Amino acid sequence: MLARNSIRELRYRPLRTLLAVAGVAVATAMLADMLMLGAGIQRSFGELLESRGYELRVSPKGTLPFDTEATIPGWPGLQDSIGAVAGVERVAPVLAMSLGVEEEDGAPGGSSKGIRMLGLGLDAENRAFYAPVEGEGPGAGQVLVDAGLARELGVGPGSSLRLTTASGFAGWGRNATARVSGTGDFVFATRRDMPVAMPLADLQALSGLEDEVSFAMIRVRSGADPEAVRAGIAAAADRVEVVTLAGIAARVDERLSYFSQVAVVLGSVSLFVAALLIGTITAVSVSERLGVIAAVRAIGVGRRRVVGDLTAESVVLAVVGGGIGIGLSVFVAGYLESILADLPGLPAAVSFFVLQPASLLTAYGLVILSGAAAGLVPALHATGREVTEMLRREEP
Amino acid sequence: MTERGSSDGGGTGGGGSRAAMGDAVVVARDVTRDYRRGRTRVRALRGATVTVSRGDFLAVTGPSGSGKSTLLHLLGGVDVPTGGEILFLGRSLGGLTVEERAALRLHEVGLVFQRFHLLPMLTATENVELPMAAARVARRERCERAAAVLERVGLADRLDHRPGELSGGQCQRVAIARALANDPSLVLADEPTGELDRATSRRVLTLFQELNATGTTLVVATHDPELAAGAGRSIEVVDGRTRP
Repeated sequence: MLARNSIRELRYRPLRTLLAVAGVAVATAMLADMLMLGAGIQRSFGELLESRGYELRVSPKGTLPFDTEATIPGWPGLQDSIGAVAGVERVAPVLAMSLGVEEEDGAPGGSSKGIRMLGLGLDAENRAFYAPVEGEGPGAGQVLVDAGLARELGVGPGSSLRLTTASGFAGWGRNATARVSGTGDFVFATRRDMPVAMPLADLQALSGLEDEVSFAMIRVRSGADPEAVRAGIAAAADRVEVVTLAGIAARVDERLSYFSQVAVVLGSVSLFVAALLIGTITAVSVSERLGVIAAVRAIGVGRRRVVGDLTAESVVLAVVGGGIGIGLSVFVAGYLESILADLPGLPAAVSFFVLQPASLLTAYGLVILSGAAAGLVPALHATGREVTEMLRREEP
Repeated sequence: MTERGSSDGGGTGGGGSRAAMGDAVVVARDVTRDYRRGRTRVRALRGATVTVSRGDFLAVTGPSGSGKSTLLHLLGGVDVPTGGEILFLGRSLGGLTVEERAALRLHEVGLVFQRFHLLPMLTATENVELPMAAARVARRERCERAAAVLERVGLADRLDHRPGELSGGQCQRVAIARALANDPSLVLADEPTGELDRATSRRVLTLFQELNATGTTLVVATHDPELAAGAGRSIEVVDGRTRP
C-alpha cells in the first residue's frame, strides 16, 4: 500500500519525478564509479600479477617494474645466488628496452616503415608476458610481435624485421635482423608500448648488455612461504629489491593513492548530492501537501503510517534513480577507463574501473539508505507539528 | 449560548431522529483552549459547553476567529482542551494518548474540511477507502463499502474519477463519503460550503439532512445562514464562549 501510493504520488507529478530520478541516477552513477575506481586498480593489478604464476619480483633498487629502463648488472652470478635460496623454484630474467623496428621487405623496391617499441628479452620458458595469438614463441634469431604492432607493420609469422637499439642506451644504433615467429597479446604492456619478445641472449647481444637484466620474476616452490623466500633473496642479493606480488600491488596503490582519495571525496559528494536532492524533493512535496497531511492525520491515520507513506516516496525515488544510475555507471566507467588507460607506466591490462558486484551493491544500498534518511527528515518534521496548527494554516 | 432546540431533551431533533439525553455522543463542559503565538498566549475558547446527542444535526455559528473550528477540533479529539472536560462516548478525551485519540477519530469521528483535502492522485473510491485502510478493513470490504457510501452521497457514477476530474460540490461529497467510511458516531464538518457556490451549498445541505434523517450525527461549523437554518439546532460561539 505504501509503495503503491508513493508510486502514484510520484507519477502524479511526472516532470518533477523525472528530474529527481535523473539527478539521483547521475549521482548514483558517480558514486558507483568512484567506488569502482577506489578499489579497482589494486584488485585488477593484483589479479594480473597473480595470473602469471610468479610470486616474487627482483628489480633494481627504487624502481617500479614497468616504468624504468634501469638494469641489474652482473646478472649471471646473481641468478645463481638467487636460484640457491631455499624455496626458489624458478628464476625468469627479463631485459626490457626501447627498440626501433622496421619491416625488412625482401622484395626489390619494397617499402619499409619504422616504429619505436619495447623489446623484451625473455628466456625460452618464460611465457608469462604474452598470450600467443598466431604462430609460436621466439627461438634464436626470432621475435614474437605484439598483435597490434604486427597489424600496424603488416607483418606476420615468417616476415623479417630489422631491430635497432634506441638512443639513450649504451651501444645504441646496433641492429639485427630477426624473423617473426608469431604474434601475441602482451599482458604487461601499456597502451603506448607495442612490444616484441625475443630470446634474452639475443636482446643482450643486440644491446651489448650481455650480463644485465631489467628485472627477474621468481616462482616459489609449492608450500614455501613467499615472504620467507623474499627475505632469503634479499639477504643473498643486497644489490636488488625483492618484492612480493602484494608488495608490488601495495606500492602501485601507494603511487596511485590520489585516485583513491579523489574517489572517496567525489563519492561522498555524490552521495550527499543524491541525499540532498531526494530530501529537497520530499520537502517540497511535503510542504505542498501540508493540508492533506493535516487532514489525513486529523481523520485518524497514525503518524507512523503518514511518515511511512512520505518516506516510501523517497525510497522509490532512490530505488528507481539508483537502479538507473547503476546501469549508467557501467557505461560511464567504460568511457573513463578509455581515458585513463593511456596513463603512462601502467599495463593496458590493468583496469581502473573493475566491475565488482560488491561496489555496485554498496553504491545502490548507500543511495537507498541516504534517500530514505533524507526523506524521513521532512516527513518527521511535517508530521511532528500539531494537527490543529496545520489545519489552521491550511484552512481559510 | 444561543441554542435552537436543546440537546438536553428540549429542542427539535435534526431529521426527527434525536435521541434522549443519556445518549450523548460528545459532551463539552466549560472547555477552554489556549494557544501560544510566539510569546503571546491566545485564549481561543473561554468556557464552551455543549452536548451532542446521537442523531443531532448541530450548527455552530459565529464570526471568524470566534473559536468555532477550535470547538470542532476539541469535540472530535483532534485537539485537547487546556481546561474543562470533554467526554466522548463517556470517555474523557483528556486522559487519552495521542495514539488513542487518533484511533478514536479513525473509528468514531468523520471529518469534513472546507478545502476537501482529498488525495489528488487517488480516485474517489480510493479516497474513501483511505480511512478504512488505516483501520485495516479487508480490501474487498473496503471496495464494497466505498462504493456503497459514494452511492449514498450521489456519486455512484464517479467512483473512478480523481478529484481533478470532479466539480467542487462533487469533491465535497467525496470528502463527506470519506468521513462516513468507517461508520462514525459523529461527523464534524468545518465550513463545508465555504468553497462552494449557493446552489452547490444547497445540495450539500440537503445531503447532510438526508444523512441525519438516516441516523448520522452531525456538527457543522458554518458562516452560511442557510446551512445553519437547515440544521436541527444551532449554537453561537462569540469570543470563545458558547452563548444562549
